[in-house]
Amino acid sequence: MLKLENVCAGYGKLDVLWNVSCEVDDGEFVAIVGPNGAGKTTTMRAISGMIRPKSGSIIFNDVHLENKTIKQIHDLGISFITDEGNLFSGMTVKENLEMGALSLRDKGKKKELLDKVIGLFPRLGERLNQQAGLMSGGERKMLGIARGLMSEPKLMLVDEPSLGLAPAVVLDVFRTLKGLTKEGVMILLVEQNVNTTLKIVDRAYILENGAINGQGTSAELLASDYIQKTYLGIE
Amino acid sequence: MYVLIALGLALVYGVMKIPNFAHGEYYLFGAYATYFALTSFGMSPVLAIIFAALVGFVLGAVIEKLTFSPLRKRNTGDWVTNAFMIGAGIQLIIQNGAQLLFTANYLGVEYLWEGGVQIGSINVAYDRLVAFCIAMVTLVVFWLFLKKTRTGISILAVADDETGAMLMGVDIKKIHTLTYALSCMLAALAGGALLSVTPAYPTMGTAPNLAAWFTVILVGVGNLSAVIVGGFMVGLIEVFSTYIFGAAWQNVVSLSVIILILLFKPNGLFGRKQKV
Repeated sequence: MLKLENVCAGYGKLDVLWNVSCEVDDGEFVAIVGPNGAGKTTTMRAISGMIRPKSGSIIFNDVHLENKTIKQIHDLGISFITDEGNLFSGMTVKENLEMGALSLRDKGKKKELLDKVIGLFPRLGERLNQQAGLMSGGERKMLGIARGLMSEPKLMLVDEPSLGLAPAVVLDVFRTLKGLTKEGVMILLVEQNVNTTLKIVDRAYILENGAINGQGTSAELLASDYIQKTYLGIE
Repeated sequence: MYVLIALGLALVYGVMKIPNFAHGEYYLFGAYATYFALTSFGMSPVLAIIFAALVGFVLGAVIEKLTFSPLRKRNTGDWVTNAFMIGAGIQLIIQNGAQLLFTANYLGVEYLWEGGVQIGSINVAYDRLVAFCIAMVTLVVFWLFLKKTRTGISILAVADDETGAMLMGVDIKKIHTLTYALSCMLAALAGGALLSVTPAYPTMGTAPNLAAWFTVILVGVGNLSAVIVGGFMVGLIEVFSTYIFGAAWQNVVSLSVIILILLFKPNGLFGRKQKV
């Protein structure tokens, strides 16, 4: 399981996160929701090792991540799918997927994973030889998630998968993620799209101005006055 | 041979975003290394050129670790400008260092492989033929390395999207050092193979450096496969301008051609539109 304890982080002299604590259990689908600029992406960056937390601890299956490099964290089984996708746009879909399994040496295993991932995203299977940069936004999002799956992660950090997607596609993506948690993968999702997110995830944290400002199961949050007023616009 | 030098330059820019104005100096390393391997250690030409490539690789790695690697850690401003300054500094140090150590004399050999072959009415020296073959073989091997090996693919991935590559578990620092070293190795190999054509002297790197930049700018920065075509084009432009207008006009003609091309195709001949 993943556990954040009083994490403070930021960029240079700018502090973004203030004592953020949260946890994700095995097979759990957890979301961090909150407005733009609240520090959601920063939280993901701190977990994945792209920035170092200034204080506090991040523990993944009993291993401290604060001083590990991105590569070490990746090799522990954490896969970060950024909001920009960071795809290799000059490479084909297949090459992108193979890059996802770069740290795997076993060829048979690679093939097996590729087939499994294509099973989850049949659309990618039809476009294996297409250049990644020439695909639609939705397809790119799928490729990003599929590539993240190729390393057989134990924990997936997914940043704003709904950004720029049609509502129907968003639901598709969320359902696929939900399916993954049934196989025991932990997912920590970051979203602004509160309404759809709370319908799918198990639990959620509300992050506002760099601090956790509430948490609960999806049902509790959907029913809470605060969420209804602030995020769902229900008076 | 321009192809090898330009390929290294394009690689370092593509992967590390370094406009490497010290690139011609690795050509110089290759020439000096080959010269001393031949004259002082009495190696055979083949061994001497391989030795030069190794020297280029090692010196490249050391220079990257001493300059660009610490800069990357501390850099807060404009990386490209800072990297350019470092490159220019390295160029000055190496040129003057070479003059101090080896004097400003031309250190050359008459031939690496004696003799030549008659093709029609033109006599082509074996040296030039061998240099051409070395360039071609190196290109093919290097291309296979980039496309087929894990390390090569990682290099291309870093060039495409550095953050993405990092998140796939690619060790960026290792790839940076390796890329720089390989790029120096290619230039040193060229310097060694052409020793009988261009002798070793302190400012010998300037001309191939410029030619390599012509090539990279001509085809569009960061486009690796097009660099190969571009290398031949710049070579041909230079040969023809020398033949028709005389050697003094060589740079004038090449630059005019490039200015013309850039006027009509600002991203270079095969350049992709910049991402916004």
